[in-house]
Amino acid sequence: MTVQTDPERTESKYLQRYADFTGKRVLEIGCGDGRLTWQYATSAGRVTGIDLHGDDLRVATIDRPSDLEQQVLFARADSIHLPFHKESFDIAILAWSF
Amino acid sequence: MVHALDEIHRVLVTGGNLVDLRPLLDRWPIEVSSNGENREVGRATDLPEPLNDDGAANQAMVLAEQRGWFVRERQDVFPFFYYWDTPREMQEYIDETWNDVIQVEDGLWSSLRSSWATANADARVRIRLKMMITSLHKQNLF
Repeated sequence: MTVQTDPERTESKYLQRYADFTGKRVLEIGCGDGRLTWQYATSAGRVTGIDLHGDDLRVATIDRPSDLEQQVLFARADSIHLPFHKESFDIAILAWSF
Repeated sequence: MVHALDEIHRVLVTGGNLVDLRPLLDRWPIEVSSNGENREVGRATDLPEPLNDDGAANQAMVLAEQRGWFVRERQDVFPFFYYWDTPREMQEYIDETWNDVIQVEDGLWSSLRSSWATANADARVRIRLKMMITSLHKQNLF
């Protein structure tokens, strides 16, 4: 079963219009398998992707390009108990997660 | 949901951005795409529970603004497409992945199969999600 999502890359275009990721510390809530993460991660300073689904996080970690290993981290966490210090991020993305 | 927004408010720097990106149920159109043209065959039916979830998420955002946590800057809606080569693949995907989100009537599957079968050889099928993106910034509450 083959599915192709957003070949027009409309989502990526809107995301780039809505946030300047350059050098920023980004928290992505509901990162899933990293599909959205890879659309902005190269320009960001540091990205932390969280999700509740371990299988998706494993895919995201496997798919992570080697040059982003230090820059992009994934963790299993719940949005109502974020395991981060106060004022740790410049940008938060609620990614299809409400 | 409000608790999650409270947490996001805590971990963001003052002036930091919150981007809310999510699909909204709106009887997503199902289409045949062929030779650069797209034809709507029908629309999916929204299931009640996720429709209520959309409303609850919208209310949580409004509440977060009313509490002064965030200020809304801009908002847009845009289309987001999922494509499949055949109606069968689309049906399998929807049955497996979105069976608790939308429903597609049997008659619509039948119409889709007919429209796809009589279209050009390059014909694919797609569903058009309605996406909403909202940008907010964190307020300083003193």
